[in-house]
Amino acid sequence: MSSDLGKPIVEVAVLDGPLGKPTSEAPAGAGAWLVFEGIVRPLEEGRRLVALVYEAYPPMTERELRRLAAETAAEQGLLAIHVEHSVGWVGVDEISFRLSIGSRHRVEGIAATDKFIHAMKRDVPLWKNPVWAPE
Amino acid sequence: MQVTVLLFGPQATLAGTREVVVEAASPTAGAVLEALADSTESLATSLPASRLAVNHEFVDASHAIHPDDEVALIGMVSGG
Repeated sequence: MSSDLGKPIVEVAVLDGPLGKPTSEAPAGAGAWLVFEGIVRPLEEGRRLVALVYEAYPPMTERELRRLAAETAAEQGLLAIHVEHSVGWVGVDEISFRLSIGSRHRVEGIAATDKFIHAMKRDVPLWKNPVWAPE
Repeated sequence: MQVTVLLFGPQATLAGTREVVVEAASPTAGAVLEALADSTESLATSLPASRLAVNHEFVDASHAIHPDDEVALIGMVSGG
């Protein structure tokens, strides 16, 4: 898949449960293809986790993710940005978030990755509710 | 004006409910936040860093709220 008339590819998906294998590919013209995956850790605040249960506020969650992705792509001059986020139960060691970015050069791809994740964690209506392991 | 405010995540857990009905002195987002602080003590410390969404869009304090609007408190978010 390639971008049309210079517009970046922007794709957002909010999916039930842990994320499967990546399916996005680097766009034509990309010199960098960056894939960040957020994984549920076994410990949170020093306590053992079984899972995180992610909560969204549809349709606002997807709308805000899409808005943030489009802004990030425009600001950084990206070729593509793909966002996938789980809702519901995601167990330890499973993937709850994936951000895939295609850019001409690594500099803007790396900057976009950090800026997007920082803004998502600050602003987007998504919440994780811990399920603790028995003590 | 009575306004129902939807709660999510840790704020719903703190308040012990998924929605709170408040009596706002005036039909604005700012007044609703003040009413939330007054009526639900468990939310008070998280409110300064929270925002209201009306009909799925973030709004500022001066935004007018109408009777059929869907109002949600968006705070303590933790995506990713």
